[in-house]
Amino acid sequence: MKGFYAALITEIMKAVKSKMLWITLLFFAFIAVMMGLLMLVAKHPEIAENSAIISTKASLISKADWPTYLALLLQMALVLGSLGSGIVTIWIFGREYSDRVIKDILALPVSRFNIVLSKSVITFVWSFLLLLILLVAAIFTGMLVKLDGWTNQSIIQFASTFTASSLLTILLFTPVSLITCISRGYLLPVGFIILTMIVTQLVGVGLTAVSPYFPWAIPALISGVAGPGNPEANIFSWFILGITSLLGFAGTAAWWRYADQH
Amino acid sequence: MDTVIKTENLSKHYGRLKAVDRVSINVAKGEIYGFLGLNGAGKTTTIRMLLGLVAPTAGASYLNGIKVCPGNTDMWKDVGYLVEVPYSYPDLSVRENLEIIRRLRFISEKNCVARIIEDMKLDQYADVIAKNLSQGNAQRLGLAKALIHNPGILLLDEPANGLDPAGIVEIREMLTDLAVNRGVTTFISSHILGEISKFATRIGIIHKGSLLQESSVHEMERSRKNCLQVRTKDLNGAGTLLEKRGYKVTLTEENLLEVTGKDAVSEPENMSEILVRSGFAPSLLKVEEEDLETFFLRVIDTKGGVK
Repeated sequence: MKGFYAALITEIMKAVKSKMLWITLLFFAFIAVMMGLLMLVAKHPEIAENSAIISTKASLISKADWPTYLALLLQMALVLGSLGSGIVTIWIFGREYSDRVIKDILALPVSRFNIVLSKSVITFVWSFLLLLILLVAAIFTGMLVKLDGWTNQSIIQFASTFTASSLLTILLFTPVSLITCISRGYLLPVGFIILTMIVTQLVGVGLTAVSPYFPWAIPALISGVAGPGNPEANIFSWFILGITSLLGFAGTAAWWRYADQH
Repeated sequence: MDTVIKTENLSKHYGRLKAVDRVSINVAKGEIYGFLGLNGAGKTTTIRMLLGLVAPTAGASYLNGIKVCPGNTDMWKDVGYLVEVPYSYPDLSVRENLEIIRRLRFISEKNCVARIIEDMKLDQYADVIAKNLSQGNAQRLGLAKALIHNPGILLLDEPANGLDPAGIVEIREMLTDLAVNRGVTTFISSHILGEISKFATRIGIIHKGSLLQESSVHEMERSRKNCLQVRTKDLNGAGTLLEKRGYKVTLTEENLLEVTGKDAVSEPENMSEILVRSGFAPSLLKVEEEDLETFFLRVIDTKGGVK
């Protein structure tokens, strides 16, 4: 526990001192504000009548009310959650290789497992913080835009669905951490994130029968944003999601413990 | 002998490439062991195996009698190390980088960061972020990370890289002080024999993965090729005379006689007397010591060439 605590403190120090934390937080808040502004344009099309790009996007939104806005927000959370946690993972694990400091943290009284565990905890918390910022900033912007259809009950229910789907999406960061460590760089894990996003879309549209068994499609099924054509998540879906996350973590820890570190 | 660092037939092979091959070393407490080799000789791989960063293909290494194993975290409490170019977190200051190491080494004494900053003369750079440090100061920060916990064992891979001459002297004196006064056992790799021989107590020469020679600095001094250089008007006559008297003589391209054997180097005055009495008065008589780099390259050439 002492080792984990020491490793966690140092990971917090590294994260807080980095520009990356603040850039990602600002980016997610910015996305939320932009979504709110899009709702504003959808509500008042005359604002953007001179901008075809903005008005076209705004016209895709069927209704400028809270239910539509929250459904859009949930979609964004699933996509951005996957992307955001992936980027955070790559940065937290990959920086040790890109900054070439990995060798400094491998022969210490703190075990390598505790370092991997603390990195994973920080990745999880940081990723969740990003989605929390997205949620809070989006609700705040929605209130400023004065969207119709607000009810306390619907917001509370949405917040719980949003939190659950965010957490499930974030859990899938562990395969990214493993690929980052194996490749000792940024390029391969970025490619992996893009690939999972593309395959998730393909599965969601063309191979719906597979979606309850494809880890990256499962959070959308559980949160109910996958669409009516998709089957529901089942007990195997939960198992697959959990085992994917666990295997990713175990693989990362094993890589740190057993692989030659050059 | 109280062996602190030990390797037994330590080997690391990458396919057919023998990066390190059956290297056996024993370093006693308080010794400074200079591990010498050209680039790619296997120095860094050996140090990485001693630190558990790389698993050996065969053999084993021991620190304080405990077999090196990455999972045995307790053994690293007494080990300070620096491998290749020391890098630090670029966006963190010198102080913050050291604070990270302090925490990961469970050092409760918070003052140790300030102390090591002072010891390594990094005071004025304490709040400078690592990416803005000069190469020399980055090296000092790397050494500070290795020394912050007052380790009993130091594994240093070319620690003088990037340091200016004053810095090199400073590090040399510091390592000697640690060994002599605190009994710190140091394993230090380098490719510069001249530098290492100034403070190492024992030297091992590695080439193409194999340990070619291991000797104390005094033994090494003795095995260096020394000769007496002689210049006279009649080199051929003087050469013949000296050979008749039992000396070994060779004529160099610079028109000098290089005389070895007998008492040529230890008592050159004897030979001078012989030459003068025989009418070959020398215009130059000079004891020429084989320089360390030549000695190093000769060892690699002769012993390494056998492989």
